[in-house]
Amino acid sequence: MIDIAFVKPALPRHGALVLPIGEGTEALTGLAQAIDAATGSAVQRALTAAGFKGRKGQSCTIWAPALADGAAGPARVVAIGLGKEVTAEAAEAAGGALYGLIQVEREAVVAAEALPPPVAAALGMGLLLRSYRFDRYRTKEKEEDKPKLERLCIATDAASAAKAAWAPLRAVADGVFLTRDLVTEPPNILNPPEMAERCRALESLGLTVEIMGPKELKKLGMGAILGVAQGSVQEPRMVVMQWNGASKGKKGAAQRPVAFIGKGVTFDTGGISIKPAAGMEDMKWDMAGAGAVIGLMAALAGRKAKVDAVGLVGLVENMPSGSAQRPGDVVTTASGQTVEVINTDAEGRLVLADVLHYCQTRFAPRFMVDLATLTGAIIIALGHEHAGLFSNDDELAGRIMAAGKAVGEACWRMPLGEAYDKQIKSEIADMKNVGGRPGGSISAAQFIQRFVDTKAGPMPWAHLDIAGTAWSGKDLPTAPKGATAFGVRLLDRLVAEHYEG
Amino acid sequence: MLTVKLRRAPREDARAPLALPLPDAAAVPAALRAAAEAAGFTGAAGQAVLLPERAVILIGTGAARRALDWEEAGGAAAAAAGEARRFVIDARGLAPADAAALAAGACLRAWRFTRYRAEPQPGPRRLDLLVDDPEAVAPLWDRAAAGVRGCLLARDLAMEPGNALTTRAFAARLEALAEHGIAVDVLGRKRLAREGMGGLLAVGGGSENPPRLAVLRWRGSVAAAPVVFVGKGICFDTGGISIKGAAGMEAMKADMAGAAACVGAMLALALRRSPAPAIAVLALAENAVGAQSYRPGDVLRMGSGRTVEVIDTDAEGRLVLADALHYAQRFKPQAVLDLATLTGAIVTALGAHRAGLFGTDAGLLAQAQAAGEAVGERLWPMPIGARHREDLASAIADLKQCASGQRQPDACHAAAFLREFAGPAPWAHLDIAGVDDRAEATALGPRGPSGFGARLLDALVAMYFEH
Repeated sequence: MIDIAFVKPALPRHGALVLPIGEGTEALTGLAQAIDAATGSAVQRALTAAGFKGRKGQSCTIWAPALADGAAGPARVVAIGLGKEVTAEAAEAAGGALYGLIQVEREAVVAAEALPPPVAAALGMGLLLRSYRFDRYRTKEKEEDKPKLERLCIATDAASAAKAAWAPLRAVADGVFLTRDLVTEPPNILNPPEMAERCRALESLGLTVEIMGPKELKKLGMGAILGVAQGSVQEPRMVVMQWNGASKGKKGAAQRPVAFIGKGVTFDTGGISIKPAAGMEDMKWDMAGAGAVIGLMAALAGRKAKVDAVGLVGLVENMPSGSAQRPGDVVTTASGQTVEVINTDAEGRLVLADVLHYCQTRFAPRFMVDLATLTGAIIIALGHEHAGLFSNDDELAGRIMAAGKAVGEACWRMPLGEAYDKQIKSEIADMKNVGGRPGGSISAAQFIQRFVDTKAGPMPWAHLDIAGTAWSGKDLPTAPKGATAFGVRLLDRLVAEHYEG
Repeated sequence: MLTVKLRRAPREDARAPLALPLPDAAAVPAALRAAAEAAGFTGAAGQAVLLPERAVILIGTGAARRALDWEEAGGAAAAAAGEARRFVIDARGLAPADAAALAAGACLRAWRFTRYRAEPQPGPRRLDLLVDDPEAVAPLWDRAAAGVRGCLLARDLAMEPGNALTTRAFAARLEALAEHGIAVDVLGRKRLAREGMGGLLAVGGGSENPPRLAVLRWRGSVAAAPVVFVGKGICFDTGGISIKGAAGMEAMKADMAGAAACVGAMLALALRRSPAPAIAVLALAENAVGAQSYRPGDVLRMGSGRTVEVIDTDAEGRLVLADALHYAQRFKPQAVLDLATLTGAIVTALGAHRAGLFGTDAGLLAQAQAAGEAVGERLWPMPIGARHREDLASAIADLKQCASGQRQPDACHAAAFLREFAGPAPWAHLDIAGVDDRAEATALGPRGPSGFGARLLDALVAMYFEH
């Protein structure tokens, strides 16, 4: 991971010098002015010649500008546009775009004197997130093909304020990277027991981690998750992670934890209702919901969030075999409700059903948010820009929408209702696990909602269908192609905005 | 439509089933109480219990408040009337508006399409609505009946088979609306060519039945910019060269349900002499397989001058709508709403219970949603994201008609496409695939075409454009 440091402004003698510039900036200041003066206004001339105006997405690279006094200077000066409004969001996007322009240098200095400390930190965050790389399984990559950037020095006069702004971001970035690692890992490596062990490693951050295997799940009556798992030689796991960061002495509702639940199908063949071969390799990331919950818990613990939070993940592999679950099987969930399995490829909701029920029964949380790469239908509904948001609580839904917007993980509210619930009526059991193609994501959400118990009082719940957003087929501003870790930053922000202190 | 008579009292020889709208079990007349209790009647909304020996139908109205609640109760009465030719709803003691709504619901539920039946079909033809004061109810009933007639016309049109309701026949049906004071102008191939409507001409090119652009105008009585409805009217959609699978293709006779809804709305406005000026622009074409069919890869120059690369000839609706939307701009509308059975993707997204709502103007979207709630035609807002527009970047033309490949957010893509042609006025797009046809009877209609949109647009105008 790139080291992000905050330093006193000084012209670098090597590497890159980065000049973040807002649109309409009249004159260069600080280090930008210093490098311009040292090069006999070569920087200003180059920017003018290139038509650089500081617009969002604009950049201009000046190679090894000669210093008037003949001293050594930076190997490149990179101006990057921040747009009209110099916000944290704009700085983050600029930081993301910056990475590709300077990653061949070992070190870079950012002339951030004019940026407020949180904006300077956001620029570092954008760059760091964009720099993610998973090269564990590359054995023959040449040194010169690897990115070089090791250290980004953000030059600011308010170093201590910027450092304070940076510390929590760094913890969140760690969470994001952890999630991306988990989601990217191949399915022969990251099976349910292995994924549970990776959760265990988070104990070092101060999380309490419990791992349950088939015996415990059986004792809890979790027929749904066990049914999904029974076709695989890999045992299922349920992992409960607890972070107790709230100050003691809280009373009433504030004492109850917030809860996050993730679908963790480490590989999804579809089971007996097997998927077609084309693209099946993508099903290694059918655990991205659980991956996000794990990264989120790491982020909360890493930044010592003042909240009590629990993260629960149901981990299984969905395989066809002689022992696999069949279409037509009826399973009894931990809640006692029965489910007719029509399609073994609609397994995620079965996993969530048992874990949600367990979570609510044990923790009586303030709210439950579940994340799952649940349906192909949500991709057809919304595409890849928005996750589908389903909720029984307008306040919670509104907060999630706002948090998502703030961190660039957008959600779109989708409907729930009795008419959709009817689609999962079964002839033999309390419900069936698919409701047909029309409104496929909605009937899936209805299924999950049946395991949110509101008989004894309200239980705010939201379900994020992240099938379209967990993985990106192309580079995004702050994520390279591949695992996005969608949900980590969103839910971290949700907690930070509303549930701390 | 049912013949509705407003009466103060039942006929002397009354043998017709009598429907009693009741809010709860306590309201059941004493003589019927035992039977009602035995049948489990509680008065809950949606309940309809026929007591055959008395020829009485107990209709639960629960805590009915909105017109829609009363309409649904009326619908339940019509459904419970069974095969009787005439039935009676006793609305005495109810507010005149609620009485009218009961009758409206009954008419919607009792609609049948019998044109192609040799034998007369059983079921209600006449309704006696018992009211305290027929004069007070009559104007309210006329107003409600206008919306009902509009909806039923939309259903009739959608039900017509593809060989009967060709583009020419559709246009002829529209010309008949002149009797209600609607001005009708139908553009044929020559004028379409003069307007440069490459989208509509290409889609209609493969068929013996030529494309048409029909423009209906209701002048209204206030000097205001018109509201414009734009409808997709694909009289039959084979998919063209990108031909559809055979299974279920017969349903494609109703691929003109958007246009039909716009027509229905215009009729409703005219029948109730709405003060608001309104215009409907209907793109009529048959998407057929023929020697003149357009092809995937073709580049079309649209009425607006923009070029479009065709990817899939079965995504034809957005092409004809694009030209119609562009044409609509010449009327300097204060709002434009288009209705179309546009994409399978919206069915995957929202199923059969809500139509997709897209657009550029938050105010208009909220109004459309509210109008839909008022008449039980529910909408759900859907996004047009930056990425959706990016996905339509073409290597040869200004934009692609749709994205290629499986699992595309095609409803959002279609909306992003249409936005390019929608002009500066507030615009809303209703993707009604999925709600234009009911697989099962609902409170306000039998299975079959729903007429979705006609009542919504009528209500929208009534609620927001007549002041």
